[in-house]
Amino acid sequence: MSEQNIIIPSKELKLEIKKLILEALKISDVNPDDIPDDASLFENNPVIQLDSVDALEIVMALQRKYNVHIDDQNIGRFIIKSVNSIAEFIAKEKAKAI
Amino acid sequence: MIQFEHKMAAHCESGTLCALLNHNGLKLSEPMIFGISGAIFFVFIKTPNMVFPVFDMRTQPGSIRINLQKRLKIKFKEQKFKKPLEARLSLESLLQKDIPVAVQVDMFYMDYIPSYMRAHFNAHYITIIGKEDQNTFLVSDCYYPSISKLSSDSLDKARFAKSDFAPNGFQFYINNHNSLLINENVLKQAIIKGIKKAAFNMTKVPIPFIGVRGMRKFADNILTWPKIARNTDALSHAIMCIHLTLEERGTGGGGFRFMYATFLKEASKILNKPELSEMAKEIMSIGDRWREISLFVARIGKARDLGENRLKELKQMIYERSKEEENFFNKLYSLVK
Repeated sequence: MSEQNIIIPSKELKLEIKKLILEALKISDVNPDDIPDDASLFENNPVIQLDSVDALEIVMALQRKYNVHIDDQNIGRFIIKSVNSIAEFIAKEKAKAI
Repeated sequence: MIQFEHKMAAHCESGTLCALLNHNGLKLSEPMIFGISGAIFFVFIKTPNMVFPVFDMRTQPGSIRINLQKRLKIKFKEQKFKKPLEARLSLESLLQKDIPVAVQVDMFYMDYIPSYMRAHFNAHYITIIGKEDQNTFLVSDCYYPSISKLSSDSLDKARFAKSDFAPNGFQFYINNHNSLLINENVLKQAIIKGIKKAAFNMTKVPIPFIGVRGMRKFADNILTWPKIARNTDALSHAIMCIHLTLEERGTGGGGFRFMYATFLKEASKILNKPELSEMAKEIMSIGDRWREISLFVARIGKARDLGENRLKELKQMIYERSKEEENFFNKLYSLVK
C-alpha cells in the first residue's frame, strides 16, 4: 500500500462509531469507551460479541449515517470486523468524497 | 507460486471466473460475467423432504460458467475425477506448468476462513495457484482477503465431499488462450442475450415457481409456516434463513441485485444505451428494499416476534418486490429486444 492510501482515523471517529454500534443494536449497558478498537466484534471480544444479524444492522446504520453503500457482504464482513476496520473504511470514504 | 492477482469478490463462481479470465488476459468485471450469464433469478424450492421451502436468487451452481462460455464463445478445459489421488496429481501437474486451476469444493473444509463463516456447501469455487510445500496448496479464494494456505488433506476432503452438488473433483482451467480473443460485437451480443434471458426467466417462464411468480408463491407459503413448525425456534430459524439467502450466501448483498446494477451500468457504456444506466439505479434501489426484508426477518426471527401480523407484513413486502421486479424486467426486456 502506498503512503498516499494510508488514512489514520481519528479517536473521535472511533468513538462515534462505537456509539453508533451500541445505538443500532440497542445496547444500553455498555460504555462505548470500553469497546476495544482492535478486537474482533464477532469473536473473543471481552465487551460485545455480534452475530450476522447485528452485522447487517451495523451496515444499515453506517449507510444511513455516513451515506456509504456497502454492497458486498463478503467485503462488508471484513469492514465491520472491528472498530478500527470500520473507522478506516469510513475515513477512506470521507476522503474520497472530498 | 504463479503470479496471480488475488481479489475479493461478491460471489464465488463469478469471482473465480473473473480472476481466471483476467489472469489469462480477458479483462471482464465480476458483475459483467454475472450479467452476461443471465444469472439473476428467483426460484421457490419445495420438495417432499423439506420441512420449510427455500428460495434462491441466482441460477443453479455451475450455470454462470456454462452460460458465459456459450455467450462469449470461449472454452474452459473441464475435468471430473473418481479418485482423490488422480485429481491431486492432475492439479499438481497443471501447477507445475504455471496454470492456475479453479476447483469446486465443500466450503466447510476451507480452514483459513473463520469457523463462524464456514458451512457445508458443495458448490464453492476457489483457484489453486501453487504449492508451498509437499502438503500445502496456495489458494486464491475470493471470499477471503488474502492468498491462503490449505492442506492437501483438507483439499481432498473438500473436492470429494458427498451430498447435493457433490464436486467429484471438478476442476477447470484455460488451455486455449486463442478462444479468449473476443471482439466487441461478440461482447455486445452476449450482454444483450444475457439481459434477455434474465428478463425472460424473471417474468415470462410459465412455471409458478420461477421469477416473480415464484416470489409470490414463496410469500404466500410463509403464512403456512407456523402450522408446520414444531416450535418457535424452528420457525425463527426458517425465517432467519431468508436473511441468509438474501445477504450472506455470496449474493453481494440485496440478493445479487447490487451486482446486477453494476452490470447494467457497465452494459450501458458498452452498448451506448444511457437508459440502462437509469435501470441500474432502479435495480439498486430494489436491492436496498430486499435488504430491508433481510433486516426485517433477521429482527423478527431474533426477537421471536413471529405472530400472524408479522408474517403478513413479510408477505406484503415480498409481494411489493415481485411487482417492482416485474415492472423492472419488463422494461429491461423492451430496451434490448
